[in-house]
Amino acid sequence: MALSFFRGIQSRPFLLYPSGFFPRKHALFYCTMKSTQTQIATHEKQEPQLKVSTQSKRLDKISKDFEAVIGIETHVQLSTITKAFCSCAYNYGSQPNTTVCPICMGLPGALPVLNSKVIKFAVKLGLALNCKLSLNSKFDRKQYFYPDLPKGYQISQFDVPIATGGFIDLDLPVEYGGGHRRFGITRVHMEEDAGKLLHTGNGSYSEVDLNRAGVPLLEIVSEPDMRTGIEAAEYAAELQRLVRFLGVSNGNMQEGSLRCDVNVSVRPIGQLEFGTKVEVKNLNSFSAISRAIDFEISRQVLLHNEGESNQIVQETRLWDEGAQKTVTMRKKEGLADYRYFPEPDLPEVILGNEYIDGIRDSLPELPEMKRRRYEQMGLSMQDVIFLANDINVADFFDATIAKGADVKLAANWIMGDIAAYMKNEKLSVNEIKLTPQELAELIASIKGGTISGKIGKEILFELMAKGGTVKGLITEKDLVQIVDPVEIQKMVDKVIAENPKQLEQYRGGKTKLQGYFAGQVMKLSKGKANPGLLNKILLEKLNAKS
Amino acid sequence: MGCCELLLLHTTIKMGSRALLLLRPTTSTKDLHFKSRFLSEALIVEKRRVRSYSVRSTIHPPDLPRLAETARISLTPDEVEEFAPKIQQVVDWFGQLQAVDLQSIQPAIRADTKGENLRDDVPETFENRDAMIAAVPSYEEPFIKVPKVLNKE
Ligand SMILES: [Zn+2]
Repeated sequence: MALSFFRGIQSRPFLLYPSGFFPRKHALFYCTMKSTQTQIATHEKQEPQLKVSTQSKRLDKISKDFEAVIGIETHVQLSTITKAFCSCAYNYGSQPNTTVCPICMGLPGALPVLNSKVIKFAVKLGLALNCKLSLNSKFDRKQYFYPDLPKGYQISQFDVPIATGGFIDLDLPVEYGGGHRRFGITRVHMEEDAGKLLHTGNGSYSEVDLNRAGVPLLEIVSEPDMRTGIEAAEYAAELQRLVRFLGVSNGNMQEGSLRCDVNVSVRPIGQLEFGTKVEVKNLNSFSAISRAIDFEISRQVLLHNEGESNQIVQETRLWDEGAQKTVTMRKKEGLADYRYFPEPDLPEVILGNEYIDGIRDSLPELPEMKRRRYEQMGLSMQDVIFLANDINVADFFDATIAKGADVKLAANWIMGDIAAYMKNEKLSVNEIKLTPQELAELIASIKGGTISGKIGKEILFELMAKGGTVKGLITEKDLVQIVDPVEIQKMVDKVIAENPKQLEQYRGGKTKLQGYFAGQVMKLSKGKANPGLLNKILLEKLNAKS
Repeated sequence: MGCCELLLLHTTIKMGSRALLLLRPTTSTKDLHFKSRFLSEALIVEKRRVRSYSVRSTIHPPDLPRLAETARISLTPDEVEEFAPKIQQVVDWFGQLQAVDLQSIQPAIRADTKGENLRDDVPETFENRDAMIAAVPSYEEPFIKVPKVLNKE
């Protein structure tokens, strides 16, 4: 059938190919992105706090004799303004097929010209991942037929990637037992994204949006160094932090700016060779990565234990979020043949040592460096991981202590009331009105005794919601703490005089009523009485023989 | 290594035919495009073989049914018979390159070493988008319509 069809569309050779043409490696992945995107919960802000599933507990039991081997391929969409090989802008969510040109639509005769930012970002990430950079690399064509790939090939890097042989360091969350891990990075290479293929519900056709075609990606391939779902999810979370710290991508999983495919195999402990590898796709959150892997490990170990290890075949499986399991997408029929060859339309990519050094010198402090620095400041691992998780939070913390704030107190305020407020109001740290300067001032005012901790809290919420300064609010609202014993004593006397019944009960043995009196005095002082002084004077008065 | 040269020539042919297509997008280019695409596939396959063999190996006759599959083209038995010798002829032509002595030559990862041709990350709108979209044979605002894509299994 193909020949006649092909002849039919010849005069517009850039246009796509008929149906029934065979799926290629990434095909269904992209297809499924759309349908699942709508049902994804927003896990992002709470990451990487993953929940321990009952499944992983079951896993502990059955996998005593087996070891899982996990490797991850990650695609990161770069936050360049324009595409990789043409000057079309890319904005997620634009009207379909509006940011296209002859190059990204694959029209005959159109020639690609590489965006210099793509190289810059690749070098940044390569350095951040401790890789060796290829001073001389090249682009290759990866051939496959799919309607979202207008040229019939993807421009990628095959045998000479821009970066190889690195590693990434991370700290596992304390709630999972903690621990430092180093996972190997096999390679990082540059390539272009395909368009988006959308499947209409009932129609006999599919829809193509080529806005994404030609958008630059970095593919990061890990060594098979991970052993559990949590380790894999944390690897992905650390990559997300890294690309965000570097400013090379927004790392947003829901929008598909960071996509992970994982390879999972199990082997009896002690066995050197790997078991049969299964690829799992459609992982749209860190918790999906963790749960999909743990499910896949149990499935494979179960087959081993039931003497059916031959049922584990090399295949691609999809994570079904609704059913919380992996399902077969397609079995591999021999390795796909992409018939790579060097891209003749692009020159080689040459990196000079000066260029590389310039980028190395301008790298920001990376998450791992931040965590080690925070650890050395004496913060707990939980604090360290929380503060270094989000670059904006880390910057806020750093700016606060740069203003002289006590390290532990600053961490407590940020992780406590400020984080809770941000969560409730769904705001980022950059969106709240509180500045690091004022947080430092607030901490100093409490420490110095100008205001009580309770009033400090009230001021904090006002600062976060409306802005302003600590000094301004203290004066405006007359909030300076009352530390004058005479003044406090006057208030205590007044409260005792006004509550003769309670006094009688107190002196009759109901000493719990001390709290009642303290509350009344605090109320009278509008919360400004120094609590220590208040209690000391109150006790003296209550216990005094009249 | 003779594969670089092979590639270059192959590419030249491919590019050439693309350019021709652009110039004459009507009936007469049909066969040309068909053939060149088919040949491209043939040469890619050959190139792979060459790479895995030692220098100056003989080039094996192309496997027509496989080439047709990778090029997504169905051929009738008559067409296989018609094309086989023609493709063999072209492959032999490229095979002559295997005679070049490259023992003392450093393998090049790229043909041209002229260096970089980069552009700044500055957006530019392609002005003739409407004409380009109008040329899409099956378009339904705002999407390009294609036959439903099904999983092979
Ligand atoms: Zn474009």
